[in-house]
Amino acid sequence: MKVSSSIIEVKNLTKVYSTEAGDFNALHDVNFQVKKGEFLGVIGKSGAGKSTLLNMITGVDHLTSGEVLVRANGHTVSVHQLDEDELALWRGQTLGVIFQSFQLLPMLTLVENVMMPMDLCGNFKPRESRERARELLALVELEDQMDKLPTQISGGQQQRVAIARALANDPPILVADEPTGSLDSVTADHIFDVFEHLVQDRGKTIIMVTHDNSLGPRFTRSLQIVDGEVVHLTEAGHRSERKRMK
Amino acid sequence: MQPRWRKVFLDLIENKARTLLVVFSIAVGVFSIGVIAGAYVIISHDLSISYAANNPANVEIRTLNNFDDGVLTSVRNMRGIEDAEGRRVMNIRVRAENSSTWTTLNVIAFDDFAKNRIDLLTPYQGQSAPGKKQVVLEKDVLKHLNVKVGDQLVFELADGTTKSLPIVGIVKDPTTGAGDFLAQPFAYITMSTLPALRQPELYNRIYATVTTGQDDEKHISDVTAYVKDKLNRNGTIVFRTRTSKTHEHPLASTINAILGILMALGILVVFLSSSLIANTLNALINQHLRHIGVMKLVGGRNRQILFMYLALIVSFGVLALLIAIPLGGQGAYGLAAFIAGELRFDLLGYRIVPMAFMVQIGIGILVPLIAGLVPVINGSKVTVLKAISGDLARAEGKPLHKSPRRESAWQRFETRAAVALAKRGIHIPRPFLISLRNTFRRRGRLMLTLFTLTMGGAIFIAVFNVRVTLHDYIGAIGKYFRADVTVDFDQPYRVDKVQQYAMQVPGVVDVEGWQGMSTDLLYPDGSVAETLNILAPPAHSELVQPILVSGRWIHSDDERKIAISEAVLQYYPDLKAGDFLPLKVDGRDEQWQVVGIFKFVGREGILAYAPLEYVAQRNDLANQALSFRIVTAGHDRATQDRMADTLDHFFRDNGFKLRQAQSGLASLDTASESLDTLVTFLLIMALLTAVVGSMGLAGTMGMNVLERTREIGIMRAIGAVDSIIMRTVIAEGMVIGIISFGMAIILSVPFTYLLSLIVSLAVFETPIKTVFTITGYLIWLGLILVLSAIASVLPARNAARLTIREVLAYE
Ligand SMILES: Nc1ncnc2c1ncn2[C@@H]1O[C@H](COP(=O)(O)OP(=O)(O)O)[C@@H](O)[C@H]1O
Ligand SMILES: [Mg+2]
Repeated sequence: MKVSSSIIEVKNLTKVYSTEAGDFNALHDVNFQVKKGEFLGVIGKSGAGKSTLLNMITGVDHLTSGEVLVRANGHTVSVHQLDEDELALWRGQTLGVIFQSFQLLPMLTLVENVMMPMDLCGNFKPRESRERARELLALVELEDQMDKLPTQISGGQQQRVAIARALANDPPILVADEPTGSLDSVTADHIFDVFEHLVQDRGKTIIMVTHDNSLGPRFTRSLQIVDGEVVHLTEAGHRSERKRMK
Repeated sequence: MQPRWRKVFLDLIENKARTLLVVFSIAVGVFSIGVIAGAYVIISHDLSISYAANNPANVEIRTLNNFDDGVLTSVRNMRGIEDAEGRRVMNIRVRAENSSTWTTLNVIAFDDFAKNRIDLLTPYQGQSAPGKKQVVLEKDVLKHLNVKVGDQLVFELADGTTKSLPIVGIVKDPTTGAGDFLAQPFAYITMSTLPALRQPELYNRIYATVTTGQDDEKHISDVTAYVKDKLNRNGTIVFRTRTSKTHEHPLASTINAILGILMALGILVVFLSSSLIANTLNALINQHLRHIGVMKLVGGRNRQILFMYLALIVSFGVLALLIAIPLGGQGAYGLAAFIAGELRFDLLGYRIVPMAFMVQIGIGILVPLIAGLVPVINGSKVTVLKAISGDLARAEGKPLHKSPRRESAWQRFETRAAVALAKRGIHIPRPFLISLRNTFRRRGRLMLTLFTLTMGGAIFIAVFNVRVTLHDYIGAIGKYFRADVTVDFDQPYRVDKVQQYAMQVPGVVDVEGWQGMSTDLLYPDGSVAETLNILAPPAHSELVQPILVSGRWIHSDDERKIAISEAVLQYYPDLKAGDFLPLKVDGRDEQWQVVGIFKFVGREGILAYAPLEYVAQRNDLANQALSFRIVTAGHDRATQDRMADTLDHFFRDNGFKLRQAQSGLASLDTASESLDTLVTFLLIMALLTAVVGSMGLAGTMGMNVLERTREIGIMRAIGAVDSIIMRTVIAEGMVIGIISFGMAIILSVPFTYLLSLIVSLAVFETPIKTVFTITGYLIWLGLILVLSAIASVLPARNAARLTIREVLAYE
């Protein structure tokens, strides 16, 4: 495959945490690429370095050496060359980030939570953005709850709101760190369905972190991390195989 | 509303107690500033206009002997004099018809009220011009006498009989005696009423205006000296002169200085409220770090986040202004009206002061912004990682909370202290220890809270000290007037003769004959600066106890030597004891040596003392005197009044030509009253600082409790009952209160010195001895205990009310 066809390219990525107890090598010379339209699973035990890897891709944390390139919205960006503000704006437009702990703003209603990224990035007019937020909530089947506060809905519903928020600025890439980690298996399955729908029908590229080995087959491709090193990378999957859903 | 601004709005209303606390504390400061600035603008504008509108005399001349229209006409024609009116002013004791308490009034007889052009009276009630055998009162009289228009006023005549005159009106007199701290209240009659009061229909005062240079002090005193000289030459002896400008109220600078002090306190309140803002925003930002991280994660840039929180701060300010501006406008006018009332002049009508509003808006917006800037900038810089990693302390960069090492140091100390105390059999209750640890957990917040409370307390205590300092000084001034009764005669009598007679009156303990000399203090160029009256008590008189600033008091063998009051420094700023002053005595220029400089109420003119032994020689009145100081057995006001009465009758009955017998110094009461008004204002400001201080404490306690919600939940989960949680929180508030009290005790000392220096310079134009009192300390201790209990009970109740589930769900 040609380098230019990948949407994310991680090159020689190393992350060392310096702590009082000494340096800790959380990622060691990680290399891989993600193609547009892939649903990539990052699988590893707790403490393997999965979240660290995501933080490198989203630019939330600094890397020690190496490079992360993202080709989206018509230009190639070396994530760690951006300053903090450029990074925030770029992230808002390019990446939707989803956490295990939802991270909704508790005082805002669901629709306002979804509108927040549009407000901050300024891609949509205020009126448009409310309409768009409503559509996104409809996508995750929460349109009728849109004026509730996050505390008034269940965890699974909150995570769906977080997904809708991640989609707010129509970013080509979604990054999810154990999005199903605090949900029961039925609810988790539902979230998974949403992701698969986004990949297949909306052409999103998704990187999802999980410690659950059994989820491996559901990704188009998966990456195994052990102690900060990529130990196994499945080949490009076959999208046709995954048609079983919906 | 865009979600971002909606978040700001919700943050504002989410925690109402917090918002109210911040808003009120800003409002208190902004309100005080608005009141003072507004009053300042109104007063400084209206005072001079209103004062000038009453056409104040530039020159007031008091003569020793009476004079008639002929003299008055000659004065009118003198060079530099625009207009002059003659009046007769005398001290007469009066009482209400149905009362037996006498009050001394300054009764002023006008020639013709219709032709009154100088020192105009402002109508207040009833007539403003009395007819023959009628009297009109100045409004201030009502403070001392319970009378109204239509009542009869009983006058005590020189021969001991009384005469009743009907009160036909009340007026305000903004100009006569303006600025004279010791002046007695006024009553007005016509010259034609004088015979009814057994007084000659002759003048003893001239009120005159000058043609040009009405606001030129030097010019006015030149004219005065000229008039005085002419009068003296023609046999009308001048014993005292006062000068004043037309467009400046004599007390203008005092009022400005006092408003300045109040303003300084207002600024302090603002300052203190800003520390509450800083504290609150620090806590708020800490609680909001996760929100900030989330917003940054979804595209928020530093500037956007910064603006959101700045908007929050500005909202606090705007809310405070909504309260403070209308109230401040009202308060400003109220304060101005109060001051105007005290000074007997009318304001030019209700109005709002745009300048004061501008200042309020500036302060109400800028101060919170400045106070909140650091926490908000730091908060908006927090990295996404730090904010959402859920473990803020572990993230890189400086810890937002205090480092754990310090806490363990405190814990080590605490353990050691507890062990040490336990060895001595003292067991500190566990909840109290927890309180203590809580208190010290947030060092920055604790410091700001302590600062606020300490400042409030120190000011509060200082105000009480200043109060006794002022009264102490008035008391000390009273020691210049230690005689219980002063008896003045129209002609000199032998001292031993008067003594002999006076001692026959039961209750008389001692009699001293005093003399005096009227001289002029000269400028170095030989022109007259001011009339200088030299009082001549016997050198060893016990009846004067001077507050010497430098040099010594008079000796009996002093010749051409004086002790002089500090007010002389306005003409000779470098004057020292031992220097010589040029005086004009009996028309001749002489050099007199200053042996000492003493303190006196600054505005009451220059006063000097020389020994009777020398002055009698100069006056050619050996062993005689015109004025006698009498000491009686009792020194209370009632005894003094009674003795003055008795002596009055006694001397008249024995054929002495008595001018008057005056008791003690009623006027000092007036001075104390005006000082108490000043102290009341200072106290109000001190209370405001205390209020802001306790709001700061309440805020701190609220934040502490909120941040410990989880801990409180765990305490309850392991069985702590409400009362224990309450006690823990209240004890914490008390600890802060008591620490601040200790610090306030220390800080109150410099504050007291500073405040009494500023106040005494404003009021007395001279620094005075500072005195301390325990009162302020005790009141503040009580207050701080109550305030800190209240400030912590509310958050404590909230904490106790939380259910375990709520607490554990709290993030
Ligand atoms: N800020 C940090 N400082 C020091 N060590 C860290 C930090 N963040 C993560 N680590 C360590 O790096 C390793 C990888 O962490 P992480 O990426 O969070 O693992 P995972 O998400 O796979 O469970 C862990 O051992 C963790 O303790
Ligand atoms: Mg992780």
